[in-house]
Order: sequence, then C-alpha cells, then structure tokens
Amino acid sequence: MHPGSSPGPEPIPHAFPPASEPQAAETSAASVPPQPQPQPQAPARKIHPLVDLHVDRAPLEELERRLERNGPWDDWGLYQMHWEAEEATRVTDFHELQCMRLLPNLTPLPHQTETALRVLHVMRGRAILADEVGLGKTIEAGLVLKEYLVRGLVKRVLILVPASLVLQWVRELNSKFGIPATAQKKEYHWNNDIVVASMDTAKREPHRSSLLDAEYDMLIIDEAHKLKNKRTGNYQFVNDLRKKYCLLLTATPVQNDLNELYNLITLLKPGQLGGEGDFASNYVADRRIAKNEDKLQEALGQVMIRNRRTDGGVEFTKRFVTNVPLRLSPEEMALYEAVTKYVREHAKAERGDLASMLSLVTLQREVCSSRDAVFLTLINLFKKTAEDSPLRARIWELVEFIKQIKANTKAEKTMELINRIQDKTIVFTEYRATQEYLIRFFKEHDLAAVPYRGGMNRGKKDWMMDLFKRRAQVMVATEAGGEGINLQFAHNIINFDLPWNPMRVEQRIGRVHRLGQTEDVQIYNLCTYGTIEEHIVHLLHEKINMFEMVIGELDEIVERMEREEPLERRLAQIMLEATDEAELRQRIDGLGDSLIRQMHEEKKP
Amino acid sequence: MNAKQVHKFVLSYLEATQCQILEKSPNHVIVKLSPEADRHLTNRPYYWSFVDRTGAEPETMTFSWQFATAEGEEDSAQTAQPQMGGTSASAYGIVAGGAAQQPPPLFPQAGPRILREDVYFGSGRLAQIFDSVREGGRCITLFEEPPRGRLDPFSSNPYTAWLGVNFKVGYECDMKREELYGWGISLATGNIDERFFEKLRERRLTAKLPSNVHLLRNGLSLRKGMTQLEHALERRIKTADFGWAVEADERRMDEMKRIEAYYEPMISRAATDEQAEALRTRFRQREAEIDWQYRPRVTLSVMNCGIFHLPGID
Repeated sequence: MHPGSSPGPEPIPHAFPPASEPQAAETSAASVPPQPQPQPQAPARKIHPLVDLHVDRAPLEELERRLERNGPWDDWGLYQMHWEAEEATRVTDFHELQCMRLLPNLTPLPHQTETALRVLHVMRGRAILADEVGLGKTIEAGLVLKEYLVRGLVKRVLILVPASLVLQWVRELNSKFGIPATAQKKEYHWNNDIVVASMDTAKREPHRSSLLDAEYDMLIIDEAHKLKNKRTGNYQFVNDLRKKYCLLLTATPVQNDLNELYNLITLLKPGQLGGEGDFASNYVADRRIAKNEDKLQEALGQVMIRNRRTDGGVEFTKRFVTNVPLRLSPEEMALYEAVTKYVREHAKAERGDLASMLSLVTLQREVCSSRDAVFLTLINLFKKTAEDSPLRARIWELVEFIKQIKANTKAEKTMELINRIQDKTIVFTEYRATQEYLIRFFKEHDLAAVPYRGGMNRGKKDWMMDLFKRRAQVMVATEAGGEGINLQFAHNIINFDLPWNPMRVEQRIGRVHRLGQTEDVQIYNLCTYGTIEEHIVHLLHEKINMFEMVIGELDEIVERMEREEPLERRLAQIMLEATDEAELRQRIDGLGDSLIRQMHEEKKP
Repeated sequence: MNAKQVHKFVLSYLEATQCQILEKSPNHVIVKLSPEADRHLTNRPYYWSFVDRTGAEPETMTFSWQFATAEGEEDSAQTAQPQMGGTSASAYGIVAGGAAQQPPPLFPQAGPRILREDVYFGSGRLAQIFDSVREGGRCITLFEEPPRGRLDPFSSNPYTAWLGVNFKVGYECDMKREELYGWGISLATGNIDERFFEKLRERRLTAKLPSNVHLLRNGLSLRKGMTQLEHALERRIKTADFGWAVEADERRMDEMKRIEAYYEPMISRAATDEQAEALRTRFRQREAEIDWQYRPRVTLSVMNCGIFHLPGID
C-alpha cells in the first residue's frame, strides 16, 4: 500500500512530520488522546471563489469517543454495506433523471418524462404544469418531486390541493412514487416532512402562521388557476410562503386572460414577464388579446408547459358513437307534452327570473329521463306552491299523467343494449331518482348493477368501483367529474340522458377513455324523438361532433364561452323563447356554428 | 441495484445482524429478525422501550420478502406463495403426515404471523435497511490476518495503523451530484492511499489482534491524520471542473436581476413608506429564496471511518 501506487492523477504533497519526531508516545491508535467533546462544526471555507465547502466529520468524532472507551465496534460487513448503500443511491449525474431506477412499478409516458426533465433543468424547478385533462399532471409533479427527494435537494414539502383531492394525492404519492406523504388532519401533522393539505385549511389561523414561519423546499399547488386574482387571501398567502422549488398545476387554460396569467406567473417568478407596466405595454392589446404573441409564447415557455392530446406521442384508442333513437310510449309522450305546455306558460309568466326558468326546463329534461325524476321535482314544486294557488291543481294534473305511465321505454332499450353488449357497461344519468329506478329495474331483470354518485364517501366509492370491477356488469353513475373514478377496465358507455354542457359529457367519457384504456370505446346516446333531447343530441353530436373531437380544443372554447354566460343557460333560454320547432333548430344551429367558428380561430397559429 | 443485487444485499444484512433465516430461494427469503434488526426496521419504539424497561423476552417480527422484478412478478407471485405456505409450516414442525391430501389451511396456524412484502430498489423497506446500515456500519477497528503458513513463530511482524475514511462529496446548487472517496492515511508515516477502501475489501480482516504481531508507533494523532486526509481531498476537489458552479452562479445572478427589475421600480413608485417597506420585505424574501436555491456549495461528509492495522511499515 504505497502512495506511489495510487491511481490519482496528481501527486499528493505530504506535509507530515517524520515518524521519528517525538510525538505523544502512542503505541497504538487505540490510545490516541481522547477528544472529550465533539469539535464544533468547522465553519464553511472557500474551495472556489464562488463555492463554500462545508465539512461534516461527525463519524470521526464518534471514532475518537469509541477509541477512548475501546469500543464497541461495528460489524465489518455492515461497514462495507454502508459504502454499497451509498454507492447505490449516489446521485451520479447533474442531469440524468435519477428517480426512474427507484420506480420499477411506474412507466411514465414520454411526454411526462420530458416534462419532468424540462422542469428540472430548463425551468429550474419552478413551473406551471398546464397539461390538458387526462395527460397526467400529477405524474409529472410526482416525478419532479421524487427526483428532488432522491437528490436530497428537497426534504420539506407542502402540497396544497382542493379538499376533495387531499386523499387522492396522498394515495398516488404513496403508491406510485413511494413518497411518504401525510394528509393533514391534526395540528402536529404539519411537522411531517411531506404534507398534503387543503388550501382552505392552510390559509386559516392557526395553521397559517405556522406555515408562514416554516421554510418549504418544495411547494406544489393543484388547481392553481384559483390563484389568478392577486387581491385574494389565497394569492397573498401563497406569495408569503417561503419556498425553494414550486409547481403550480392547472388544467384550465389560463392564457385566455392575460392579467390572470400574469398574476400566476408573478407568483412563481416575479419579473418573468417584466414589471406590471412593461407587461401591459409589451404584451397586452386587450384583456384577452395578446400582442407580440411570439415573444409572449417564448417568455411563457420558460415557466409553463402545456401538453396537448393533439401533440401526439399519446396514443388513445378510438371512440365510436352510436345514437340510439327511440319513440316514447303514448303515455310518456302525453306527459312530455303536458309538461312542455306547463313550462311554456310559466316561462312567460316568470320571464326574467332565470333561476326559475332553468328549473322549468329541468322539468322537461326529466321527463325524457324517467317518470321518477319528474315526479320528485313535481312533488317538491307542489309543496312549495301556496296552498290556495291555482297552480296546485295544474301540477296535480301532471302527476295524474305520470300515473298513466306503466313502462319506461328508455330503460327497456337500455336493458336490450346491455344484453347485446355482454360486457361491463356504465350507464350515466343526470338524476338520482332515475339512478335508483334503473338499479331497481335492472335488479328485477336479474342484472347486477351498482350505483355511484358524488355524495358517497371515499370508502364507499372505492367499494362500488371494486364491486363493478369484480362482480357487477353494470354501474349506474350520476357523477362523472370529481376525483379518482378511473374505469379503464370498461369500454362501454350508455348516456341514458345527456348533460347540456359539453364539458360534462366529456368528463363522463373521460372516466373510461383515458390513458390506460386498451380497447376502443363505445358510446351510446339514447335519444327520444320529438323532445328537447333530440335537439341536444343534434347539437353535440351532429353539429359540433364533440364525441369524436379531441378534448383539449373543446375545453378552451367552452371556457371562453362560459365567461359570458353558461352554455346550459343559453340553451335553456333558446328552448323557452323559440316559438316553434323550426326556430328552435335554427337557433341551436346558430349556437353550434359559433362554437365551431371559435374552434377554427383557436386552431390558427 | 437489480433484483439479484438487492437479494444479495439483504441477505448480507440479515447475516450481519444475526437474523434467523427460515427459508430462502433466489426470489424470496423468510426471516425472523434479530432484536437488533427489529429495532431498526419495524418502527416499534414503544415495544422496545417496554422490553428494555421490563426485561421481557423480546418477540421479533417475521417477514417474507420477495425480490422479483416487475417483469418477473407474475411467476414469482404464483410460485412463491405455495412454497411459503408449505415450507414455512414445516419449519415450525406443524406439518403432520398426510398433509399433502389436506387442502392448505385458510389461515397459517401457530407460529408467528408472516408479513409479506416486495423488496426492490426504491421500496421503503430497502431504504430502511440502507438507513440501518448507515447507522450500524459507522466506526470500526480491525486487524489484517497474517498470511498463513510462512510465519516464523519466533519473529514478530510489524503492523501499521491506518485511518481509513469513506467520504461523500456533494456538489450542490439547484441540482446535485455526488462522489465517493474511500481514502486512507498511514498514522505512522502520513502516506495517503486513494484506493484504500477498495484494497481493504480484498484483505482478510479480524477484530482480534493476531499473534506474532507488533504495532508500530504512530507518528500522527488521529485528528492530525484526519486533517491531512481532509486537506488532501480538498486539494483534489479544487482541481475539479467548477464549470457547474459558474453556471449555477450565472443562473443565480440571472434570477436576481429578474426580481430586481421587478421590485425596484415598484419600490420607488410606492405611494407610502409602509408600502415600500412591505415591498422591500417581499423582495428580500425572494432574494433569500433564490440564494437558497442556486448558490453553489460543496459538502464533504464522512460516511464512516475506522482504524485498520495492516502488515508492513508504510
């Protein structure tokens, strides 16, 4: 063991005293003069004009103490394994994604890995992740977080999300990334290294002060578009938090409103788009219209990533849409017409009061779903009406129509469809009463069906999903949005009735037609002739062909339209104002055309 | 670490901590932990403080660890399961004659509960074993066994004391890279060996002082040895490429300029002193964050170290 044999490229100068120099008479290292107290940590010194060197020699101090007491000594095997463990977990490279070798059970898609790498290297750990729905923003955020954790650059993490998503985040981080995240429930949970909490809890005292006193290596905020207004408490709170790395997640295309976009970016990187005045003069032509688009896009590209389904790379299976037209039975049609008449008359009486107009249209829509749904609404309406009101008699007449109905044409058709499909099928309806009716109806026909709705607690939802996966052929769901209902194992959807908002229709389909779906997806729309339903199906399917459209385009357009007035409300208004079928069709076509026009503008570069 | 390396590492750990291996295959191991390993791995501080206070006989936990990789998971899940039921039962001597005809019991009877876990690189369990090893393999004193056979029983071999230190060097800014150095310094002469740990692993070492051996006088104190070793490593690090630090500092300045351009005009335009002060505070907070994130630094930490008595006068 000669120093000359060392492979080091430079000779090491040895400034040691000759062995003969009278040193303290030590015969073996075991009697080295003890250092009773560990030396205080040496102050940092310069190793390069720009770089401080920090030294931690704690194990050496321990060696000294143990020598003094002559042991105890650790195991040679463990000593070597310590090296092996460090070697295995060592961060070998500044740039390569290190966390992947620790995640053998996760195979991210190429765009997700690429996004993580860009956040780490180009954006320096502060970014807005604005992928379209369903492309896996959580996976991207998880990758970035895991990478920093593995590199030891991040220890304390705060993740703020809407209350309904807290547990889902904790579950995903734990199961997919092996990240030991905790949901904040008790005050002392804040002391954990990685905490997921709801924004509403965090910003309230006493939590607020303790969070503002802490320092977070990483802050992640889901649904960050809620931070667009800088005068709000949420915005101020996030601005005041001390953070090193920061990810803001949103699926809403914030670039539709330049001021909101500016605020969001200022939260992340103040000055990225210049000062407030510079921004306005450089980029803003009008609140929603940018100028110097290229420069703006370039500046945005440094802080924001938006992957789109249309970008390719992400393979989705096909969607096949079938409209299933049917005729209501004479009894059902009689009810529909009676309700329509009632609605028209009262729409005139209540003109101006949008809320009650909407509830009137709901009546019509419910007739197309099931008599159970409309019955419930009528009874409620009846109760609300004053006892001496002549309306009571009118409502009661309608109830009499309901009594005449013996069968549900749509339910029978659905049964027929399911029997033909012979596979897992999800039936979506807008109404709870219809859901209950359908479950009963299926049961009478020896078909196992499970319910699913928004009001169920998490455990029950999981249980229902599990039952559907293992036991039941059919799930009847009232809710499609919200958290964590991923049903990729099924690929048949029956829209028993349709929401009037294209986004909600898309959310339904998105539960099934998402990453991980291996089969083509079959979508059946039940459509009753001669009712408003026929018009809606016409608008959504034939006019704007939304079922086969890539979603990203649509959410931007609908978002833009809804800034003025919700689509549902516009439709309701058209329904009530149109004097005949022809006018109705014409005005609905007009609405569809304006959607299509915006879509084309959107596509222009 | 691939599945095979993980398997080997875990088995070495179990042996080093005197755990009782009940059953093993290339894909799995069933083990009853030793008290030492149980303390480190099962996260039961209350139980162990109870045992320590009352002197009760500790009941350690039993695990079945699967090492299969993600691809091989399918087969191992099918093969490992029956193996486990069958042989672990036999290990406790509860399999009576004719067990083959009986259906497997619904619940494993008698014996301790066996927790089944997947252990792979990245799993929490392996990370815990790594931590346990970091804790349990810190300080050591060893002697090399003299070569057998050709020893003159009447002469004594001189042994030199070496301070062996394993360093981890971290290069950090907003990103990070690490290097390991297993260096040693002769406490007799001050000679430094940069391949010390590597060579050490090929030697036969023992905790007991061998016979016919005498230890040379040390020329250096432990602390002096450490300082020299540390300085030598520092000189080595200094010659490395600091381009990464220059780049990191450029990023830092770049970020600083950005926030300066944002806050300074706002501060000068502020309507009131309080507003200006509030803005200044926020500005300083942002500055501190940027410094925290980007300022390049090198950390040199001792992973573990020991005194090694090796033959020869070096």
